[in-house]
Amino acid sequence: MKGDLSLSCRDIERHLGEEEERVHALRGVSIDVEAGSLHAVVGPSGCGKSTLLYILGLLDKPDAGSVIIGSTSISHLADEELARRRNELIGFIFQFHFLMEDFSAEENVMIPMRRRGQLSESQMRERAGVLLEAVGLGNKRRRPSRHLSGGEQQRVAIARSLANDPQVILADEPTGNLDTNNSQRAFELLANIVREREKALLLVTHNRFIADACDWVHEMQDGRIIASHPRGQRISV
Amino acid sequence: MTAPLYIAVRFATHRKRALLLSLIGIVFGVSIFICTQAQTQGFAQYFIDSTIGSNGALIVRSRFQPRYQGMVVSSKSTGATTRRNFFEGINNVSEIMRISRQFSNVVACSPVLRGTVGARAGFQTTTIDLFGIDPTAHLRTTDLAKQIISGRFDDFRNNPMSVIVGYRLAEQLEVGDGDAIQLLSPGGEYWRFTVAATARSGVSTIDTSRVYAHSRVAGRLLKKPYEASMIIYKLRDRDRAPALADHFENLFQHTAQSWQEREEGTLQIFSTLSISTAITVSLIILLAGFGIFNVLTMSVLSKVREIAILRSMGYRRGDISAIFLWQGAFIAGVGSLIGCILGALLTWGVSHVPIHIHGLLYTNYFLVVWDWRHYLEGTALAIVAVFIASYVPAQRAARLQPVDTLRGSSL
Repeated sequence: MKGDLSLSCRDIERHLGEEEERVHALRGVSIDVEAGSLHAVVGPSGCGKSTLLYILGLLDKPDAGSVIIGSTSISHLADEELARRRNELIGFIFQFHFLMEDFSAEENVMIPMRRRGQLSESQMRERAGVLLEAVGLGNKRRRPSRHLSGGEQQRVAIARSLANDPQVILADEPTGNLDTNNSQRAFELLANIVREREKALLLVTHNRFIADACDWVHEMQDGRIIASHPRGQRISV
Repeated sequence: MTAPLYIAVRFATHRKRALLLSLIGIVFGVSIFICTQAQTQGFAQYFIDSTIGSNGALIVRSRFQPRYQGMVVSSKSTGATTRRNFFEGINNVSEIMRISRQFSNVVACSPVLRGTVGARAGFQTTTIDLFGIDPTAHLRTTDLAKQIISGRFDDFRNNPMSVIVGYRLAEQLEVGDGDAIQLLSPGGEYWRFTVAATARSGVSTIDTSRVYAHSRVAGRLLKKPYEASMIIYKLRDRDRAPALADHFENLFQHTAQSWQEREEGTLQIFSTLSISTAITVSLIILLAGFGIFNVLTMSVLSKVREIAILRSMGYRRGDISAIFLWQGAFIAGVGSLIGCILGALLTWGVSHVPIHIHGLLYTNYFLVVWDWRHYLEGTALAIVAVFIASYVPAQRAARLQPVDTLRGSSL
């Protein structure tokens, strides 16, 4: 791997559920994601992909192991501090775009900026406009997100994930709810932005074409990463 | 505008119907609270003003001296009231009044010689409560001049053999201004007086029995062995009457009674009514609170996904809680403001509703009192109810685990 290390985790263990339903979701997972690179996590449903993503995204805490962003181990921090780091360092994209339906595209992009509180209202609006322009929605910034198509909504979600200029973007099946054309467009957009802006992208996907286009593919099974391949050295997805 | 406040406003305005229902509950609760308090306290205030306007804020009457209790004093204090011998009437009136006037709270005082005598006019006879007064001093101490509804006070002042008659007594005796009325002295002889004016105090017991006469004439008629039965006082701060009464008792060795003590029974009725209506209206606000609790709980349930999104973007538990508390604050603030305006309009409307109460009080319209404290209390009550109603849903929202929602949608 090349470049500065943006996100990594070491020996992550995670159990889900309680008593009889308790599942060992992650079993000693370690991963390194450097700036400017695209990483795909693939594997069958229930293998622990999303659980890993939420732990890396500081939304969930591991039972054991550590999460490091930049050079700082942060998985042990208090909930309030984790929220602050999440706001500043991480951008999320979800399968179902998860926009605020009643908010306009612009307002959705401004939500993370509002929390951070470093920009004035006009500065936030200007930055949201630039980001929406970058994803090809400059002319629809005032439109309520529920009035946008599925592909457009996902592009708004991409713009939102970049709102606070995070180091890391985590995407949970970002094209899972889109048709083939829109999937391709959304991924290309995301890949270009990540490379241009030197972000680190880790995405969970079932789409083998998208996985093939990433710099690294990590195959998961039963809570373990069973194989990690650089581009062009893949055997199967 | 902070991020939670911005989102709270957007959430609230999105659920317009639920917001409107919550607002209506608070608006009606606050406005009815204000209106009912204005009414109940309006009647009470009218009674207090009327009784003080007629009988003063404080009365000094019978002289007393401690009763002999023997030579051996018990080692244990029983805390019981000291036993006293009472002697009817006041003899050193001028001295007591001179000293009284030196107290800063005393505006004016007036001696009254009081007695019960029979009255006759035409074929009508009844028993009346005769108040022998010094017109000038009494005018400074009471609202008698304002209470005149027919005739002139100056006619009474200038004619020692004239009287002012309570208006309901005048109706009963069928007399008017300039008519003759005869008062029966304890010696059995009728004294003839001219009715100079009729007065309406607004308090039934006064209007049905009282006759004012000049004190010197009353003294000759009643044949009392003392100068005055009582001295009545007008005070700057009537709320301090009980403390001054205690002081006067010790100072003058005469019974002194504040208006609060004198009208205790009636005031308790008004107080009970006021508390009763306050409880009833508080229940309305409480019910509105339950409505808001339901609305916000439903809002939390319907915004689970949005809460997860916000948490994933770095919003803290406190921010999530604040979003729902802000919604509650918005409902409480706007609801209270509209409630206060509506309450004032309702109070104004009610004060113009014609009623004819000629019993304990005399009034032709609903009596209301305009008191800013009612608006403050109504608002405070609404804020407390809404805060309690908002707190639980807000905490519930803050406790939601975003991963549970996100995993449920995408695993």
